[in-house]
Amino acid sequence: MRIQFETLGGFAYFPGLHRPLRIDTEQLTTLQAGEIESMVRASHFFDQSDSIRPVGAADYRSYRITVEDGEKSHTVKVVESAADRSLLALLAYLRALGAEGPTQ
Amino acid sequence: MKNGSDAQRAMAEQTLRRAAAMRTARAAVQAEQRAAPPAAAMGAPHKQRAVFDASHTENIPGARVRAEGQGPTGDAAVDEAYDGLGATFDLYWDTCRRNSVDGAGMELDATVHYGTDYDNAYWNGERMIFGDGDGRLFNRFTIAVDVIGHELTHGVTGHTANLDYNGQSGALNESVSDVFGSMVKQYAATPRQDAVHADWLIGAGLLRPGVKGVALRSMKAPGTAYDDPVLGKDPQPAHMKDYVTTTSDDGGVHINSGIPNKAFTNLAISLGGYSWEKAGQIWYRTLTDTRLAAASQFMDFARVTVLNALQLYGNEGKRSVTEAWSQVGINVP
Repeated sequence: MRIQFETLGGFAYFPGLHRPLRIDTEQLTTLQAGEIESMVRASHFFDQSDSIRPVGAADYRSYRITVEDGEKSHTVKVVESAADRSLLALLAYLRALGAEGPTQ
Repeated sequence: MKNGSDAQRAMAEQTLRRAAAMRTARAAVQAEQRAAPPAAAMGAPHKQRAVFDASHTENIPGARVRAEGQGPTGDAAVDEAYDGLGATFDLYWDTCRRNSVDGAGMELDATVHYGTDYDNAYWNGERMIFGDGDGRLFNRFTIAVDVIGHELTHGVTGHTANLDYNGQSGALNESVSDVFGSMVKQYAATPRQDAVHADWLIGAGLLRPGVKGVALRSMKAPGTAYDDPVLGKDPQPAHMKDYVTTTSDDGGVHINSGIPNKAFTNLAISLGGYSWEKAGQIWYRTLTDTRLAAASQFMDFARVTVLNALQLYGNEGKRSVTEAWSQVGINVP
């Protein structure tokens, strides 16, 4: 499974923090790969649609996530405050992986 | 009265004097009501603050930990948020006679300790949300009072011009928040800072030691706030010739806001004195002006500032504002 994860928005635009993170689960430990694949399934990722822009909100973060799994590929843009819990868990995991450093 | 006694005549004259005095007083009140902004007509200022603690979860609003009138809690993020809400309320009331975010005494709510290592502050349409930062790149976001003023001003904009959060209108939305956030900081400083001596930085103190930068943005010198191996280089332009066309960041709302930010700073410095005395009045009048549409572009906004400057300060005011915009490449005909 390959995932591209990009942070959008926030209080300021920092070019260095908006570079996409690319993850290939084959490059991760078996434990990490299992956790990510499990979270992708739990969030019904391939059925998710883009978030609706929150009315009157500003400086919020949103994320663009693309998951490729075999023949399937799907991209969603998610506003964090509008994401459901299962997707929030995946977002938190991806953010943590990004904070650990580049994996590509 | 000709036929009355001296006593009757005296009483009648006293009655006439009272009636005249009452008419004068009533006329003065009516004149004041016409001149005052709508918020003042809503009554006395209603400063009502509440700070909530999300306890490092993403559950909003969290537990209420400090309400209006309660003393400091000892939790820096809670107390900074409370004080920053108050400083923002004071700037709007004292200088613009605006009674809170909605102009009608709305409670000002903030949630602190949001998420884990959360590097952001945002306005969710109803309240402010503050993260504690990751401790590596960023400190807690309540540390800078201008950031608090910035977030609440998004609420004010939502209740007034309601500028679309995309492209140039979004960059104006962002810029107005920086303008008022910066004025909150200058107004809350002891002693108060005038336009010449203010640093015009947004988020000073937010970057952790070791990060190469002084703040998140510089209104006076856009593009110079940071240049760091991890964060990258501050991408803000200071002039229309460097305008950034992009689909990122909602069409560059935090990038191209550097241009109107610079125009406001130019104006405030050229006028001298405190920024809220004249430049701030022009910008507030513009934000609340029905001639400003949600989809307004930089030129539309600039035109309305010029009209308001003319109305408030005559031809000299008009010239100053026109020149401030011209210096960033926006030439109002």
